[in-house]
Amino acid sequence: MKKVNRDVLIDASTRLLFSMKGEELDTLLEEFSILTKQMEMMKEVRGIEKFEPMTFPFDVSNSYLRDDVPAEPLSEEDVLKNAGNVKDGEIKLPKVVG
Amino acid sequence: MNFEAVIGLEIHVEMKTRSKMFSASPNSFSRKPNSEVTVFDMAFPGTMPRLNKEAVRMAIRVANALHMKIDHELHFDRKNYFYPDLPKGFQITQQRRPIGSDGYLEIRKNGAKKKIGIERIHMEEDTCKQTHFVDYTLLDYNRAGVPLVEIVSRPEMHDGYEAMKYVEAIRNIVVYSGTSDGKMEEGSLRCDVNISLRPFGQKEFGTKVEIKNLNSLKNIQEAIEFERERQSALLLKGEKIRQETRRYDESRGETVLMRVKTDAVDYKYFPEPNIVPVKLSDEFVEDAIATCPELYDSKFERYLALGLAEKDAEIILSSPDMAAYFEGTLPSGCEAKEAANFLITEINSYLNKKGIAIGELGFDPLELGKITLLGKKEKLTHRQCADILFKCLDDHCSIDVAKKELHIEAMVDDEGAILSFVTAALDANPQSIADYKAGKERAISYLVGQVMKLSKGKAKPSAVMAKLREELAKR
Amino acid sequence: MNYLDMDILSLHEALVEKKTTPLELCKEAIRRAKENDCNAFEKILEEEALKEAEQLVEPEKDNVLWGIPYLAKDNFSTKGIETTASSNVLKGYVPLFDAEVIARLKERKCVLIAKTSLDELAMGGTGTTSHIGMTYNPYDPSHERMVGGSSSGSAAALASGIGSFALGSDTGDSVRKPASFAGLVGMKPSWGRISRFGLFPFAPSLDHVGYFTRDVASSAVLLSFLAGRDDKDMTSSYRPVEDYASYLDKGISGVRVCYFSEIVSSLKDETMKEKFLSSLEELKKRGAIVEEVSFGLDLLKAVYPAYMVISCAEATSNDANLDGIKFGPYYDGKNYEEAMSKARTAGFSELIKRRFVIGSYCLMAENQEELFLRAQRLRHMIVDRLSEIYQNHDIVYLPAAPSIAPRFVDASDKLSAEYLIDDNHLALGNFAGLPSITVPLAFESGMPLGVNAMARAYEEGPLFAFAKALEEISGLSGLSVMNKKEGKL
Repeated sequence: MKKVNRDVLIDASTRLLFSMKGEELDTLLEEFSILTKQMEMMKEVRGIEKFEPMTFPFDVSNSYLRDDVPAEPLSEEDVLKNAGNVKDGEIKLPKVVG
Repeated sequence: MNFEAVIGLEIHVEMKTRSKMFSASPNSFSRKPNSEVTVFDMAFPGTMPRLNKEAVRMAIRVANALHMKIDHELHFDRKNYFYPDLPKGFQITQQRRPIGSDGYLEIRKNGAKKKIGIERIHMEEDTCKQTHFVDYTLLDYNRAGVPLVEIVSRPEMHDGYEAMKYVEAIRNIVVYSGTSDGKMEEGSLRCDVNISLRPFGQKEFGTKVEIKNLNSLKNIQEAIEFERERQSALLLKGEKIRQETRRYDESRGETVLMRVKTDAVDYKYFPEPNIVPVKLSDEFVEDAIATCPELYDSKFERYLALGLAEKDAEIILSSPDMAAYFEGTLPSGCEAKEAANFLITEINSYLNKKGIAIGELGFDPLELGKITLLGKKEKLTHRQCADILFKCLDDHCSIDVAKKELHIEAMVDDEGAILSFVTAALDANPQSIADYKAGKERAISYLVGQVMKLSKGKAKPSAVMAKLREELAKR
Repeated sequence: MNYLDMDILSLHEALVEKKTTPLELCKEAIRRAKENDCNAFEKILEEEALKEAEQLVEPEKDNVLWGIPYLAKDNFSTKGIETTASSNVLKGYVPLFDAEVIARLKERKCVLIAKTSLDELAMGGTGTTSHIGMTYNPYDPSHERMVGGSSSGSAAALASGIGSFALGSDTGDSVRKPASFAGLVGMKPSWGRISRFGLFPFAPSLDHVGYFTRDVASSAVLLSFLAGRDDKDMTSSYRPVEDYASYLDKGISGVRVCYFSEIVSSLKDETMKEKFLSSLEELKKRGAIVEEVSFGLDLLKAVYPAYMVISCAEATSNDANLDGIKFGPYYDGKNYEEAMSKARTAGFSELIKRRFVIGSYCLMAENQEELFLRAQRLRHMIVDRLSEIYQNHDIVYLPAAPSIAPRFVDASDKLSAEYLIDDNHLALGNFAGLPSITVPLAFESGMPLGVNAMARAYEEGPLFAFAKALEEISGLSGLSVMNKKEGKL
């Protein structure tokens, strides 16, 4: 496991596209030390490795697939209605450099 | 060269379903920006994925054509990263359990067949389209959510030719199965190449370089050959290969550095919690396979069996529309080979001249078949049949009308009629007879011409020639 | 007593007999909402609600929801009505579509009175992190006590008698815990029972649509309309929807009930403990077979850390769409990273950011095995343990919270080093997707105390029968600050 420190958290928040203040990071560091310690202890829980990781609450599956029938699309006005920066019928952004 | 190139390909294919992968938005490749968008494509909060049945069927067909093991239970994962063209901030894909795994396809090289292993095929969704301007970028969400299959080969190719043939084979499969229009230049089939070099005999792979933006078969081959030489030259100088992403600059015929790969991106994959596993019944899978249109290889073999030359079969199969047209001629009872000839020569030149596609020809292939039959039935020459064909194409008229207007009549080959023309010609040209007797072969050509003139072109040339020699011998 | 304070079936009768009208109910609900000082609303839909109610003139006899006023947590998508999930990152966002539950209620001609506030993006359990500030418990006029969260506004408003029911969402206990603090019936059915289409996701594998009522019968009646397959949510169940109200009078004779020894013994609040234990005696009197069971302390301790890891991991991904580009406040920048970062930095509060970093960290390739996958394995163990217990028992019965609603000064949204097993066990119902209901049990210092019952997946019917018995035992049906009761225990 990656060791948690301030720089790791700053890097993680930067990658999540937001910044955090100093005291916020302090709180976060505290929380991390608690959480990782707790999770570390869970390693001891009886035979945990025998259990497959579970995503869904119970064994659930179905066989539904959507029929390939197109629906009425949104109007251009609706598509762009909630966007803050629009130009020529498209959403505008600062230049993206590939 | 002292090094062996090791090449693996990742191919993304846009599927031509009527609606998108996880939403019911239309998927008709509209050019009007943001005209094929519903709430899911914009990642509005609370929207949920709904898997497209037809996309699954298509993926099964491609997986089957590639001899893959097909997973009868569908699982999806999230690939998490931030990029403006990714509305949700994650892409739904199949990381853990691809729908197809462990297959292969065969290419021909130097007359022999070679198997190329294929690791996986999985379904995912496309991103939205960015258009870059000088100081801003525009986003069109029409492409967001378009169904994709990604086909990942094993690193089992060793030169540009093999890679090119591999992509060509994949394209043939997706096009003939009706999965995609497979147009590389328009991005509906996109190919990324991974290439590394190693000394012959070495087991370990060298450092991998990725080449992107390869939009034609030719470019794939050329980019790989360029890259082989570039890396080989570096290695010979004792330099190291950097792990980087390059693109192919068509005009310079070179690969160009895009970016050096630092640490690998961590996509933080985890199972998509909004799609419970989807069980596919055996019947569903079998039906998808059974209803798959006939694929390229099968057609190719069938065309050869019909008497076509390999080259001709390849030309016809280079376009599914052409192949369909060709097959449309056969119920007329015509010779496949004849029909193929007309298609490859006359029809193609006509299409080129008019600048139209075969789909726009507006001429029933059955009629073409009938025209080719006239050669035998009515003893018309190839030239005459071609004239009828062009007349029909130009005037949209029936074969009979074309014949009439072109004053085309059947050849005369009955002995009595030909004998009378021959006799008349000989009688009128004693000098030619003398020349012939004196050994001037050319004289007979002149006499054939005279007979044809007398018969108004209707006498069958081979019959004329035989009769002339017979009569000349008597004189 | 005002008609608005009635249970749904009685109110329906009154509407059919034209003793009251949807418009009257709507006006009264809006009046109460405007007078309310709990900071429970994102938006009171006065104009829209009155307009709808005015049109409801001729009662529909066979539609028990006709004209019934209700509330919805502001993380349900409502077409044409700004929906922010109490986050600045969604300020000004006006959805183009209704959530499935909203659409169903609209079709039934229920009248939506208000969108209620919540802990930002439904992450949190205190009702303190909404962008409009903290929500107060209506039972505490001094405003020192929380109502709990994240469905804080729905709980506070319904306990204030505004509307007949209120929609909420429940990822860990976000309906059932505030129900306990607000003297309400809080129901979360099985995972997949109610479509989540249009519910802003927090952690989809744990998210449930839930709702508050003031009595058990109304809860049962409602579920029959909210439940059912919806093709827009691939996880929604095909199981037939039942007439849940028909279970209400089945009684609990022979029902095998268990409680977890670890949780009851860890209760520090004497009143809670005493009232809970006396309720066990009452259950036995009604023929239930009550047994103490040890769940396993190690597994109970695992609940909260596993919940944090799984929910934060899913949340960081679900909320990656919130970037100010397609919707929400847009911020300009030199490049897209800057534009998106500005929107996200300004849009999320501190708690949210901390949770996203935790979630993202748990998903990193080098940490997945020890954090995310281990949490998913713990989930598996916990779910298996529950299945074992349900082989011999029909109902798991426990206090819904360790005490009455805490004071704001004593509460924190920070991760605690202590294992508060009696404060976190409701998440068991989310891990296993079980139907789970909180009902009021008693009062302490004028504040309500609730208990919770969980049944096997898709056994909502028997759960309602059990809840009905509890309601009879407590005598606390139809509770609100407008209709205070002492209770029998």
